[in-house]
Amino acid sequence: MTPIRDYMSGDHRRCDDLFAAVEQSLSQPDPALPAQLFADFCQATLAHFQAEEEALFPAFEQATGIRMGPTQMMRLEHVQMRSLMDEARQALAAGDQDDYLGAAETLLILMQQHNLKEENVLYPMCDEHLAGHAGELLPLLQKTTGSAQS
Amino acid sequence: MQAMLSFDQAPPLAAPLRFFLTAPLFAAAAGLLLLILGPELLASRWTAGALAFTHLLTAGFMLQTMVGALLQILPVATGAGVARPLGVARAVHGLLTLGLLFLVGGFLTYRSELFQGALLCLGGGVLIFLVAVGRALAQIPMGSTIQWALKLAVAGLGVTVLLGLSMLVNLAWGLSWPLLEITGIHLAWGLVGWGVLLLSGVAYVVVPMFLLTPAFPGWLTRLLAPLLFLLLALWSGAEAAGWGGAPLLAALVAAGCGTFALATLWLLVRSKRARLDATQRYWRLGLACAVGGAALWAVGQLWPALGLWPGLPLLLGMLLLVGGFMSVITGMLYKIVPFLIWLHLQNAGQGRVLAPNMKRILAESAMARQMAAHAASLALLLAAVVRPAWFAWPAGLALLLSNLWLLVNLWRCLQVYRRHLRHIGEQLAAAA
Repeated sequence: MTPIRDYMSGDHRRCDDLFAAVEQSLSQPDPALPAQLFADFCQATLAHFQAEEEALFPAFEQATGIRMGPTQMMRLEHVQMRSLMDEARQALAAGDQDDYLGAAETLLILMQQHNLKEENVLYPMCDEHLAGHAGELLPLLQKTTGSAQS
Repeated sequence: MQAMLSFDQAPPLAAPLRFFLTAPLFAAAAGLLLLILGPELLASRWTAGALAFTHLLTAGFMLQTMVGALLQILPVATGAGVARPLGVARAVHGLLTLGLLFLVGGFLTYRSELFQGALLCLGGGVLIFLVAVGRALAQIPMGSTIQWALKLAVAGLGVTVLLGLSMLVNLAWGLSWPLLEITGIHLAWGLVGWGVLLLSGVAYVVVPMFLLTPAFPGWLTRLLAPLLFLLLALWSGAEAAGWGGAPLLAALVAAGCGTFALATLWLLVRSKRARLDATQRYWRLGLACAVGGAALWAVGQLWPALGLWPGLPLLLGMLLLVGGFMSVITGMLYKIVPFLIWLHLQNAGQGRVLAPNMKRILAESAMARQMAAHAASLALLLAAVVRPAWFAWPAGLALLLSNLWLLVNLWRCLQVYRRHLRHIGEQLAAAA
């Protein structure tokens, strides 16, 4: 049973789809569409970060006593991703497609290697150490990440 | 503190980068060799020049990049990194580079002391690498498919190198072992047991994630690596014993590789990324060459007129090595190198000085133009096998230039890194 890994990995894929939609919209005639879709992507991704930073990571840290390990590393990468989101958003606002593509490509690779570490290492550790708390933790994660869907 | 933490998992930039910058030099040297020796090199796969050329591409370009990439990707993909990565990288890189120079010198001059040097250096370099990676892989639990593929690929490298070393012993001390049979088995383990297994293991992760394609089918990721490994082992035994079932086993191995290439192409066509960037075009070219190579091999088996043509192994070699492996590897380098430079600059800037994004580190147009040169060199190399007298020199020149161009592109990334690192130093000093 890996409920945390399954749910959070699924949420990663949802964010991937939103990311891809922005890129596809760049060739559409509507000039306002990319910025709007990028805002949707950021909202979903930031909600995912929030669920991790406010619910999942503290629970993991409390259960294991490991505070300066993988969760700290993931928090640092969240900071880096937020900064790239700002850079990409500014490029879209300025109408600079090349600069958007550069920031977005960097963001995508950072995001994917981050997801890989979470899905292969951190989430399985969470499922192992938080098995007894999944009942209350999972609805909380769903609520925080799902809030971006409405 | 922040910078320190993020470096916990990623090895220092100098560890993988030394391999990535050396690799194009070896491929360029292969081009130079063809330019010097001309049509004579292509007379058969057994000429001294052809053996040196092949090893510059395989033990030079392919092995160097694959070792560098594996050191980098292991901690990310499996959570288990190599201990003391910089020390391991320095030792392995130095020994593999020196060993390959001895080997190429040995093929070209046939002096036994050069083969002895190659034996020591290549054996030592690969041994250090296998021990370091083996220890890292042993820490991770069995289960995930990529870990299986990586473990079997590392074992495949071990078999390839052992067979290669056994031939070197033979050459260095003038023994009379059946070199022709061992060569075929050595080649199959290198291309499939190490090359295809490592590539497939890495592809299962990077293709869906970076190119936003659907996931690889579960049956393929579960079955391909163990099945190919088993079939290779059975085929090697059959081939060594001269058993009649060997061609059937070889056909199954080729079919397995073809299935992987077709499945990956099928996924690439379904990529959600709107733009075909250099990496994606390099991958499509590489996989199309792999499928073409498998088909050509099959036709050669069924149609004796083609099967007996001495140019066929050379044509297959060009198609699979330059068209297949080099294309896919270069496509990956164009993602890995700019990203690593960004990552290390971002960490050095401590969140206060932002790093230039990947396309500012290496522009898309620079990659696209280099890829056109690579495609031209592939076309000329294939033509050179069919008409050596016309195309051997232009093909050598094209291979030399396209790889120097790749080196220039990667070197430019390093220049951006150095320049920006100075900028960070100044900014942080001014803020302090």
